[in-house]
Amino acid sequence: MSGKMCSSSNSIIQAQKLVDQLRVEANMERFKISLTAADLVQYCQEHRRSDPLLTGIAASSNPFKDKKTCVLL
Amino acid sequence: MCDQTFVAATFGPCDSCGTASPLMNIYIKNEPINYCSFCMEVMACQGLQKGETLATLKKECESLKKKLEEDRGKLNDVELHQVAEKVEVVGALSIKTRRVLKGHTNKVLCMDWCKDKRRLVSSSQDGKVIVWDGFTLNKEHGMSMPTTWVMACAYAPSGCAVACGGLDNKCSVIPLSLDSNENCAAKKKTVAMHTNYISGCTFTNSDMQLLSCSGDGTSALWDVESGQLLQSFHGHTSDILSLDLAPSETGNTFVTGGCDKKANVWDMRSGQNIQSFECHESDINCVKYYPSGDAFASASDDATCRFFDLRADREVAVFQKDSIVFGASTVDFSLSGRLLFAGYNDYTINVWDVLKGTRISMMFGHENRVSRVRLSPDGTALCSASWDNTLRVIDIFCCFQA
Repeated sequence: MSGKMCSSSNSIIQAQKLVDQLRVEANMERFKISLTAADLVQYCQEHRRSDPLLTGIAASSNPFKDKKTCVLL
Repeated sequence: MCDQTFVAATFGPCDSCGTASPLMNIYIKNEPINYCSFCMEVMACQGLQKGETLATLKKECESLKKKLEEDRGKLNDVELHQVAEKVEVVGALSIKTRRVLKGHTNKVLCMDWCKDKRRLVSSSQDGKVIVWDGFTLNKEHGMSMPTTWVMACAYAPSGCAVACGGLDNKCSVIPLSLDSNENCAAKKKTVAMHTNYISGCTFTNSDMQLLSCSGDGTSALWDVESGQLLQSFHGHTSDILSLDLAPSETGNTFVTGGCDKKANVWDMRSGQNIQSFECHESDINCVKYYPSGDAFASASDDATCRFFDLRADREVAVFQKDSIVFGASTVDFSLSGRLLFAGYNDYTINVWDVLKGTRISMMFGHENRVSRVRLSPDGTALCSASWDNTLRVIDIFCCFQA
């Protein structure tokens, strides 16, 4: 009844929105994976030095490392 | 708009003809429109171009989808791991749990680090939000929320406030006071209001704006001070489970992932959905940007994590193994983007080599699902939150020092 009437106009609006969205996406400029993947790899390599998990950090500068207890001589 | 749940939920005067009748509440270009069903049909038919009918629209839809697939396929000239063949292998990792944060009385659902690299905030099914000092294990603040299942929490960039939300359908911002005796929850301010649970929230680059995503299928940008809605984002056809903001250098976009198996990238200023990826076979539980902002990873109930390149507009890697059958619920990258940490429903965390697509390591220790993994801001430690009521701060070292 009212559900059916709504659904026809509803589906027109939905279809229009979908078509508009797809038009936007279709017009997007895309690049080849050989280029973009090379950039991703380059980013990793450039930031390798600043990634503590790849290069390791000295135990003294690791804030989470357990501190040795003091010994009174 | 969550289309499949359409019911004439409101009754009142129609915006167009003025007669009181059941109203359809929809959004056109982010403006709410409340028309009665007759005026809605009239408007819809007027909006059609000459010669357009539902059938022609559907046809155009199909042809556009095909064109998109073809265009994306043309760019697939090489695989990511092939480009990364010459890159040296990551050394074996040494992993040790440094801290176990106990205090929640039920599943920990979300956590976030503070920019000071030592504090973190966690939220739980028990309705509590706790701010911890990760070094001393001190609980600095503990706040009770009005409902259980606080599914999202985030630390403000300044470190002076936290945001949280869940089953109450609201995202609130709580300023943290230095005075530990003061009741923080009393100063709680409601910022975001959705019509279903809040699944994720994050501050933008300042304390002034908050981005939220919800089970109602929408995400929204809010002004914290006034609580005003600045922009809303519609397009998902089911619950949104996660969002992530692009790293600041790359501008105003964010990505969301949800139960409709889609990951969508949005422009924050226009509200436009600029890219959409539908590759997963089940709900997407988590999305996270690659540190350069040119790609993002997603974790899904289909037991895979996938890596999407934004400039090539396609999926470029799938992190999966036959032995991994449980859904992945969370992902995070290391600082350089080389490592991907993924938490799974089989209680483990897998560490993947993003460039080569291989698994480097597995971490055990939790006694229930891992709900969230986040790397500390300086990249030295990983915090994992779990349904076993605890959070763990984990030290990870590369055994071969450069």
